Amino acid sequence: MNDSSTKTYKIPWPLKLRELGAVVGTMAFFVFFSIISEQFLSIANLGATFTMAAELGLVTTGITMLMISGEFDLSVGSVFAVVPMVMAIMINHGANEILALIVAMLVGIGTGLVNALVTLKTFIPSFITTLGMKMFWRGILLAVTGGFPIILSHKSKVLNALGGPLGGGLRYSAVWFIVIAFIFWFILERTAYGNWTFATGGNLGAARALGIPTNRVKVINFVISSMLAGFAGLTTFGRFKIVDPTLGQELELEAIAAAVIGGALLTGGYGSILGSFIGAVMIGMVRSGLVLAGAPGYWYRAFIGVILIVAAIINTRIRKKVAG
Amino acid sequence: MNNKQAPLVEMRGIKKNFGRVQALKGVDFHVGYNEIVGLLGDNGAGKSTLIKILVGYHQPDEGEIYLEGKRVRFTSPWDSRALGIETVYQDLALVNLMPLWRNFFLGREVKKKVGPFTFIDRRKMRHTALEVLKDVGISLRSPDETVAFMSGGERQAVAIARAIHFGAKLLILDEPTAALSVGETRKVLEHIEEAREKGISVIFITHNIYHVYEVADRLVLLERGEKIGEYAKSEVTPEKVMDIIAAAAGVV
Repeated sequence: MNDSSTKTYKIPWPLKLRELGAVVGTMAFFVFFSIISEQFLSIANLGATFTMAAELGLVTTGITMLMISGEFDLSVGSVFAVVPMVMAIMINHGANEILALIVAMLVGIGTGLVNALVTLKTFIPSFITTLGMKMFWRGILLAVTGGFPIILSHKSKVLNALGGPLGGGLRYSAVWFIVIAFIFWFILERTAYGNWTFATGGNLGAARALGIPTNRVKVINFVISSMLAGFAGLTTFGRFKIVDPTLGQELELEAIAAAVIGGALLTGGYGSILGSFIGAVMIGMVRSGLVLAGAPGYWYRAFIGVILIVAAIINTRIRKKVAG
Repeated sequence: MNNKQAPLVEMRGIKKNFGRVQALKGVDFHVGYNEIVGLLGDNGAGKSTLIKILVGYHQPDEGEIYLEGKRVRFTSPWDSRALGIETVYQDLALVNLMPLWRNFFLGREVKKKVGPFTFIDRRKMRHTALEVLKDVGISLRSPDETVAFMSGGERQAVAIARAIHFGAKLLILDEPTAALSVGETRKVLEHIEEAREKGISVIFITHNIYHVYEVADRLVLLERGEKIGEYAKSEVTPEKVMDIIAAAAGVV
């Protein structure tokens, strides 16, 4: 190729959309469930669906940032339970609500920091670090509660603001999800930090050679992942007013599935907050749609499993067209 | 040598050990203004280690580094980039999955302030990336294309153009022509000469004397962590350089 410098690259525009798979899939499920269940399109159901999607989506938002920077977090499901558990125990012992909220969130942030430091200092894969963290917290939860749920002993305004009802099946968590997803979309797409996050996961050596503080980027994203998982747990706590020690089990897999449906790569360097948003909505929709269709709960997992694989195949193909 | 008192970059007595391996055993190295230096040696000679110490990727165990006569201590490539030393590594030049404009401005994003928020000026970055590349003869339809489909030569050109655009004083190229076709190699050599015309000094790392001989002013030969020779281009032929390296490596 002698004159390679003047060639242009023609890629049809829809394929450039990282979120293409998620958008098409979500629309397909929307039509499908609208047809098989009359109640699916009711305001109450759409609100409830989006609320469920929001609780998952908050976790997905954090995990997407982390996955793009090339790391993994399997502990989000446990953090999702530990943070509200800390808050519940503190409030039930008469602590100030705001103080309880702060301490609970600090536990979440601290978990993210430990995940980051262990991973980056010992060079073990984050898959292992966070798997250990997941088991550690789940064990602590069961030990402290003896396996019984903790019920909130009195009303809490703070929890109401996190996950209380807004009307029409919607809850505050839906608002939080939209706001927080927008903030992180902005950070990822419109700030230098977002650029560094993509570069850190896309080519660690290149990012480092250009002077990007890749370790700092990863630490921050580990903390974001844990923090948002804890926050999501609090919004769920605000809905149920009860924390079960098994809350959030296997949530990490759903969150990763939502991120992958949204176009994120397990190998890092690629993904989108908007895609993850749509991915979470899709999973929420499948869950409520299957319930309305009268399918037993087990079907949900089977369904998500198939969707995940199909999404990953589609994304891999799209990415090959876009990025070789 | 040049007529200014201090060279652009001077490294004195650089030593570096990795565990029990002596990667560099006290190397002196300098680059003058407006000079293209070929840094030659077999694999494992210490070329990359020397450069990584120069840019702050590694720290030397012993030795000093001077930039324009002033002692410098770089703790990361960030520091050396800030003072005008840009490096283009063979495989670490660009991030494949990222669009061209994000690559071009990586670590040097153009920022815009609106109220308390600082964000990146996408329009300006897109536009500039496209313009700068047009200058070096790469015309892309859109700065949003990922760089994955670019040829090796184009990738080198992008990285070199980026360094020039950001006002580098010294451009370090790590095996820039290693995986390129003859035509592409020629183009990269042209880019290197353009850089010198703009007043930029270049360190060209390679183990192929024939690639660097054409453009270099001076050749520095490393072998097993030691400098085994230093010649102005007029003093040696490529064949002579090959013989010296082969002899030092124990291949006769």
